[in-house]
Order: sequence, then C-alpha cells, then structure tokens
Amino acid sequence: MPAPNANSRQLCYEARDKYYECRDKNPDKTEVCEEFRKMFEKSCLPSWVKHFDRKRVYEEYKKKLNTEGYKLTDE
Amino acid sequence: MYKNLISNMAANFAKITTIAGIRATRRIHIVTSYNNKLYKFIGQTGSRKKIPCCTMSQEPPKKYDFVKESSKRGPIRWTGLIATVIVGGAAVYYVKQAKDEMEKKREAEKQRSIGKAAIGGPFTLVNHEGKTVTNKDYFGHWLILYFGFTHCPDICPETLEKLQNALDKIDSTKDAPDKVLPIFITVDPARDDVKTVAEYIKDFHPRLVGLTGTEEQVKATCKVYRVYYSAGPADADNDYIVDHSVILYLVDPDGEFVDYFGQNMDEHEIANTTISHMLKYKFGNKK
Repeated sequence: MPAPNANSRQLCYEARDKYYECRDKNPDKTEVCEEFRKMFEKSCLPSWVKHFDRKRVYEEYKKKLNTEGYKLTDE
Repeated sequence: MYKNLISNMAANFAKITTIAGIRATRRIHIVTSYNNKLYKFIGQTGSRKKIPCCTMSQEPPKKYDFVKESSKRGPIRWTGLIATVIVGGAAVYYVKQAKDEMEKKREAEKQRSIGKAAIGGPFTLVNHEGKTVTNKDYFGHWLILYFGFTHCPDICPETLEKLQNALDKIDSTKDAPDKVLPIFITVDPARDDVKTVAEYIKDFHPRLVGLTGTEEQVKATCKVYRVYYSAGPADADNDYIVDHSVILYLVDPDGEFVDYFGQNMDEHEIANTTISHMLKYKFGNKK
C-alpha cells in the first residue's frame, strides 16, 4: 500500500472534517451523515479512520470533562 | 591543569604585590625625603598619623627626630609606589579573568557531560538516496532529528510542518549564526524503504533528509535517542499505525545532543531556543 502524500492527506482531512461537522450538527441522527462517512472511509486509510475516530471520542470526552466536570453518577 | 598552576601563581603574586604595596604605603609615613636626601622617622605608630602630609618642599616638623638614611639603600619614591599599584592591579585583574574563564569552562563541562550521558550517540542508517550514512557524516552541521513514519495520520506531518516553519524562521533571522539540517528518521522500516522515504520528504522542507535502514539499525538508533515506538495491529492490507514518541532533538556540530522540543513547543519557541543554543556554541562555552 503506497504511503499517502500531501495531496491524499489533504483529501482525507477534508473528508474527515466534513463528516465530523455533520456529526456535530446532528448528534442523534447518524443516518444523516451516512454519505459523509462513506466519503471519509474512501479518502483515508482504514487505520487512519480508526485513529481519527478514537481521537474524536477522546477529544469529546476531554471537552465534556472540562465543561461539565467529572460526575460520579456517570459510572 | 597548567592553567590552574598559572592562575595560582598569579594569585600569589597578586597577594605579594598587594602586601608590598601596603608596606610601601606605610613606609611613606616613616620614610620621606627632604632636600633629596632620605630620612627615617623615629616614632610610634600612633605618632605617625600626626605627620602633616609629606610635601617634598615642606620643612620636616621640628618636634620629630630624623636619622639620616645610608645613601646605598634605594629610596622609595612615588613612582615606585605607582608602579606597584599598577602591577598589583593588573595581576588582580588577570586572576579575576582567569577565574571567570575557569568557572565558565567548568559550567560547560558540566552541561556537556549531562547531555552526553543521557541522549544521543552513534547510528548507521541509509539516506533517501540509498547511501549508507552514520552520525559522523553529519558532524559540522546543526541537526534537528525527528522520528516518525510515512503512513502517519496527523502528528508526523504536523510536526514536520512545524519544523519547516521553525527552520524558515531561523534562516530569515539575521543573527542566526548557522543553518539547521532537518533529519527524518523512520520508526517503520518494514514499510518505509528508501523510495518511500524519498517520496515522503518531498512534501516538507527542501533540506529535509530522510533516513531508514534495517530493523536492527532503526532499533539501535531509537535506543540511543531513547525513542519509544510500537507498531499497532495490522489488518489484511498490512495497514497499521505506529505509536511513537513525538520529540524533536537538537544536535550540535560535534554530534552532541543539546536540547529537545516536545509537542507543546510551537515553531517560534523552537526557532528561538535553537538560535540561542547556536549563539552560545559560537561565542560561549566552546572554543
């Protein structure tokens, strides 16, 4: 598998950002972002998709922790 | 060590001349000339202070007794005293200088040995032109090393872009004494062959050098630079991500590790810190 170059990296980042933007706008309706998700997976290496998804979950959690604080009742 | 000896000797000489100077000053109170002939006061320490200042033309106060000095004994004159003060002063100044210099050297030695013990060392790798290189090939250059891999999703390109901006900033700084050679070293030799690395570095700084090698060569290099790396699980297409430390290493023209820049440092901090190390190297601790 060839290593991504500057161009393919750029395409991947753009597709990723569009998908996450859609998810931000529609937090409860994943089906709306179906097309963006397909584009994201097509533009990026599978390992990258996994990496970005994990990173997003982590970032979200960090944001939540910073704004709402840690709640014992979450457990 | 001979420098030590010289400065000790100089210190002793300074002490002697200073004492001689003090003695000479004291003697002025008791030895004075009158009509070009030398006289010595006979008097107690306390009474000396009462002497009105020794102007050459002044009559010696009558209430004191003088004994004529033998003409063979060298007279102590103002010129002699001034010469003593000058020589003594010069010696004191020299000793202070020598001491400062030694202090600086000791400091430099201390820093060097700390850096040497912790990070950096010899390596043998293959550059992006397929030529085998060692750390010695880069002696004489300031280096910033970055360990990464070409299939790296975001952190590596971001860091290499940051490095590129920092280098542009250093290049455009008038007072920067030197340029930095950036080096990318892969932690994924299984996928990053010479050709892949050569393609990859084209996207970044024009001076960027790409290094790869065998598993063993890369492992040994990462070991001397204390770089952690661990390849994640691969899928059917042999697609995986390598987890690794994200650190830039600054290496001086002697091949010694000088400083590191973590992910929290921005391009301005990297450029400024690098320039200050270059200036210190040029004008400071090292010859």
